[in-house]
Amino acid sequence: MMLGALGVRRPLGRTTVHVAIVLSAAFAILASAAGDWGVVRAPELTRSPNDAAVIAASRTVPRGRIFARDGTVLARNKTDKNGEIYRVYANRAISQVVGYASTRYGRAGLERSFDAELSGLAGDSVSDAFAKFGADRYDPNDLTLSLDYDLQRAAVAALGAHRGAVVMLDPRTGEILALASTPTYDASAISDPSTAQGTFTALRGDPARPLLPRATLGRYVPGSVFKIVTAIAGLGSGAIDPTTTYPDQPGAERNGLLVDGFRVRDGHHLMTGSTPLDLTAATEVSCNIYYALTGLSTGGTALVDYAGRMGFGAALPFDLPTAASQLTNGGGPMPGGFSDDVELANAAYGQAETVVTPLQMALVAATIANGGELMQPRLVTSLTGASSGTRTIGPTSMGRVISTANADAIKAAMVQAVEGRLGRQFTTGAKVPGVTTAGKSGTAQLGGTGEPHSWFIGFAPAEDPQIVIAVLVEQAGRGAEVAAPIAGSLMTRYLRRAK
Amino acid sequence: MTAGSPRAVPAPALPRVLGPIRPRPRWQELRLLGLVALALATGSLSLGLTVSGTFGLYDPQALAIYLGALFVAHLAQVLAGRRTDQFLFPAVALLGGLSLLLMQRLPQDLVTQTFFGSTLGLAQVQLIWLLLAVTVATTLGIVVRSDSWLRRYKYSWAAAGVGLLLLTFVFGTEINGQRLTLQIGPLSGQQNELLKVILVVFLAGYLAENRALLVEQDTRLGPLRLPPVPYLAPMVAMWAIALGIVVIQRDLGAALLFFGVFLALLYVATGRISLVLVGLVLFILGSALMADLFDHIRVRIEIWLDPFADPLGAGYQVVQALHAFARGGLLGVGLGAGLPEVGGRIPIPEVHTDFPLAALGEELGIVGVIAILGLYLVVVERGLRIGAAAADDFRSLLAVGLALVIGIQAFIIAAGNLKVLPLTGVTLPFISYGGSSLLANALVVGLLLALSDKGVEPPPPPRIGSRWRRLTRRVDA
Repeated sequence: MMLGALGVRRPLGRTTVHVAIVLSAAFAILASAAGDWGVVRAPELTRSPNDAAVIAASRTVPRGRIFARDGTVLARNKTDKNGEIYRVYANRAISQVVGYASTRYGRAGLERSFDAELSGLAGDSVSDAFAKFGADRYDPNDLTLSLDYDLQRAAVAALGAHRGAVVMLDPRTGEILALASTPTYDASAISDPSTAQGTFTALRGDPARPLLPRATLGRYVPGSVFKIVTAIAGLGSGAIDPTTTYPDQPGAERNGLLVDGFRVRDGHHLMTGSTPLDLTAATEVSCNIYYALTGLSTGGTALVDYAGRMGFGAALPFDLPTAASQLTNGGGPMPGGFSDDVELANAAYGQAETVVTPLQMALVAATIANGGELMQPRLVTSLTGASSGTRTIGPTSMGRVISTANADAIKAAMVQAVEGRLGRQFTTGAKVPGVTTAGKSGTAQLGGTGEPHSWFIGFAPAEDPQIVIAVLVEQAGRGAEVAAPIAGSLMTRYLRRAK
Repeated sequence: MTAGSPRAVPAPALPRVLGPIRPRPRWQELRLLGLVALALATGSLSLGLTVSGTFGLYDPQALAIYLGALFVAHLAQVLAGRRTDQFLFPAVALLGGLSLLLMQRLPQDLVTQTFFGSTLGLAQVQLIWLLLAVTVATTLGIVVRSDSWLRRYKYSWAAAGVGLLLLTFVFGTEINGQRLTLQIGPLSGQQNELLKVILVVFLAGYLAENRALLVEQDTRLGPLRLPPVPYLAPMVAMWAIALGIVVIQRDLGAALLFFGVFLALLYVATGRISLVLVGLVLFILGSALMADLFDHIRVRIEIWLDPFADPLGAGYQVVQALHAFARGGLLGVGLGAGLPEVGGRIPIPEVHTDFPLAALGEELGIVGVIAILGLYLVVVERGLRIGAAAADDFRSLLAVGLALVIGIQAFIIAAGNLKVLPLTGVTLPFISYGGSSLLANALVVGLLLALSDKGVEPPPPPRIGSRWRRLTRRVDA
């Protein structure tokens, strides 16, 4: 048999054909990869601020303008004596939103995330394919924002010398009306070539970190404002209903609730005595023990799940880069990634490893204000180009978080926290005169000797919410003292003008 | 039947005496070269329009010199009167012409060389290499009529190859953490380009001689049927050399190319998929080990998996190449209109050697990329055809191997540009800037041309490995 095989010279043709087929298939993979990068993923890449064409265009092509909601020009172009184009911005108050565009120091804020549109490089792929044959390759787009210029300036002014953030939005559409972060900076001085270097060096070295947009990228311990998230998860998962009370709770008020050797403490037992508290009463006096017990009965999985529905755990879908808010560092053995019951109980009232962005907390309040359905936050409402015309960006839902009935129960509790006999002592100054106001204050303990962060989230009018607000003031003390009056005055200003 | 195969034609007793040389027209080649000239002139016109803004050829002199050289080469082949392949040369000539256009379009100061007091820029240096390459390919295609100098001395060639590799170890200059360039005195070159040709010559000789054994005998290893153990030794040696190249030269691309060509030829010769699978497993295990041991390989692989993790740092080059494909889109931005310079610099570092496909992808679009890939497939197809029609196993394997070297090398670097494989430092044949690459690939083309002429000298009777002789003798007795 061996010899027989030897006698017949096997031709190489058959195996050669196999190799040819494999190599052709490999080349077909290359062709489809070229199609993937050149067509399918091209829009994303060619609009990226890292794209060489975007960077090159940003140096030579006049960028589109940026308008506030009322048409005020927030960003425009100016030509210096050397003929170089640079950006001029309306006011320091918008610096953290609009950002800056500098040939030297790059771009930040909307100037960065909408770089391709502002430089006029972004179109749909069909128009892109033909635009490059035309004489004018660039079609700079003007951006119109939902930002209320007056409210934005008022918010920055209200924060004053504090470091902090204010987020105001319309819960029905997700439109951002104010997005203030302090301290602010002079963006025009960064883009002006004659002052850029000195300004930028000073800003980068400033320990107050003025270049950090706190409203979107700042991550803070939330304290008691986080109890609204726990209430959403508790009601949504069915672990509690609005009438649920805990028999252990009144007794634990004096010495604290023992969870695995850790004592959850409260400061309101002088007011409530031995009455068992339900959702409304517990929210009114911001009862840590009630919420710790609710967190434990809801469980880590549902807590993380419901928070995730509002955007926790990842960057938010938004026109500016955002930091991810979290309930826990994760990786723990307990459901949801908590390391033990102590962490879960503490997270349920906003301590432990829970950190949030002010924008995220505004979305939590917006969920309640909009009857349980969360609208995606957005700043840019339309883009207008000379040849591409106007594109309007409408509201998008991020989905229903909880039922309207559950949202209304939490709304009632939040109204009580602002309007109630006991509640108003925690939220002095938050009420809009003559309008039913809902809210929740927070005092985020930082451990050590640092003063706590002061928080307030809320909305008004409770019957037909038109404005949602989240206020954070870094290390300013108790919620009632600093954040709540800022929220009250800004909501009042907006609603009075809206009438 | 005895050891001789039925093809044992009586060997010619005397070396063949050359008959009178009669010119033979090559109309097919001429027609195709006409199309090449048309395509390149259109490209030059497009370059002229975008770069100078005037209606006219961009640097008509360089283009005329290149096209002139092509026609001289064509004429020389006509006069030589050999029946060699007529498709190969035009396909390669178009790739070379695209290279010239690309090098004209890139900043000329990427490469400068001073010859006899005059300083030449990128396109001029590349033009000189292209002319030399055309000369080498044509000369080999005309002159080489016997393969005995390759066939007889396969082990000498292998020794020369290993020697070349060892020289790198001693004289190699390290550039960007890779030891790819051999510098002895004033001469410098990328030895791996030459090594790939030597490898194919050796493999063709070895496999042609031992093919029967590799096919017929078995060693069972579990479910796998493998050839006799002694005949696996070269395979293991090849594997070790490939990994050695990774370790010593840090050249992942050459290792991939050599091993890929080796496996492909092994399969062509034996038809045994099990060998290829074992080889692949060995290579993957080896690469995993290398990635574990060496930082630069791990970094390469990490960049490949997610270049966007660090788009301005480690992943910069790869990300910028992908951006170039994206900007090009379906039809491209046009020759000369792409690669927006930022601060006077082209966005992709090393574009002329490592990323010519990305640059062409931006300017000629996906359509252009597919056309270029198609040209490589034409070259491979011609090579495989020449192999299939060859008179004996050695010539057949040699032609197939030479064709696969071009095809696999083009695949590796194109895949690196397109993030299909990790980026490696191999050149894009006929297009990348560089003398070593152009000359080595011209060598390949020249040998393929020579092999495509069947009418010159019949092959010697097949030689069979000693072990097979012993085996058959035993049976005869």
